[in-house]
Amino acid sequence: MTLLIGFLIGCAFGAILYLGGASSYRRILGTLLLKDMAIIKLMMTAIGVGSLGIYLLDMGGLANMSIKPAYVWGVLVGGIIFGIGWAVSGYCPGTCIVGASEGKKDAVFTILGALTGAFLFSLAFPVLEEWLIKPANFGQVTMESMLGIDGIWIAIPFSAALLFTAFFVLKDNYE
Amino acid sequence: MNDKSIISWKAAGISLGLLLILATALVKPLGVSTQFVVSDAAILHQVAPEFAEDNTYLSKYGEKTDWGIGYGWMLVLGMLVGGAITNMLFGKKRPEADKGSMPPMWKQNFGESRLKRNAAAFGGGVLLLFGARLAGGCTSGHMISGISQLALSSFIFGIATFGAAILMAKFLYRKRRV
Repeated sequence: MTLLIGFLIGCAFGAILYLGGASSYRRILGTLLLKDMAIIKLMMTAIGVGSLGIYLLDMGGLANMSIKPAYVWGVLVGGIIFGIGWAVSGYCPGTCIVGASEGKKDAVFTILGALTGAFLFSLAFPVLEEWLIKPANFGQVTMESMLGIDGIWIAIPFSAALLFTAFFVLKDNYE
Repeated sequence: MNDKSIISWKAAGISLGLLLILATALVKPLGVSTQFVVSDAAILHQVAPEFAEDNTYLSKYGEKTDWGIGYGWMLVLGMLVGGAITNMLFGKKRPEADKGSMPPMWKQNFGESRLKRNAAAFGGGVLLLFGARLAGGCTSGHMISGISQLALSSFIFGIATFGAAILMAKFLYRKRRV
């Protein structure tokens, strides 16, 4: 049953990314060059809605949260490497799947690269774990646990700020 | 350059937020990058079982008989199917500049060579997954799902990723005014 739910959620996820233009090189690079705001507005809206919904669920004890541990160095270095790869390929791990599904060959090459990258990481893991993952690991920290107040009271203003920025502040910036 | 996607960012953003809430209520939040490791592990357990057993990272994500194919892997498979179906239904409505394997914007800046584009796509892919596995997630797991859960680690990832990606994009397209 869980497998079927995963499959159906994946179908909807793929469809949304496709229809919203997230698998488009032009839109991703437009975003990173700070010209085209559609993708960043899409992400801010999704996080705004998601954050509010997840912490409402959490109030009822219904949220199956999955908090990633905050090992500062690994997350920082990993994020930088990831960001460079994102700008070079124009895809992220999710959108290269969608790009491949619409027959884009460069997306297929990104998938092959991604499988290779995951393999290389598995070889480097023992060393990286010592250097970047074990030190400065603060565990599954959230704004809720850091500020010591109920998450919903952070989620409400955070979500309002994101939605306000997406809907009223950010504008496309073509010369 | 401003021809619209098939649905607006508002519609896509709101539906993605609702989908994330649904996923979190039913099973767990969205995530993609782990499944590349699961796939690697499944392949290597077939072609090089001893190597796969000995690799501490890969052996966490699957065994020879149990491939670790679960909710997350089915989600990624669903993305492939969902994307393909949507493409069949709505492909014609897609802006011209978003079609094909050679983005016009890339061609203008880096020339006609398909080899060059595919090499960049491959190399970018290597960096994407190496970085995502080091950081513990990607755009969906860290940024969308993680920041929605107000996780500190995901805020760090979001800032590092966007910072590096913006600088790299500006560097790649330094010659032209877009």
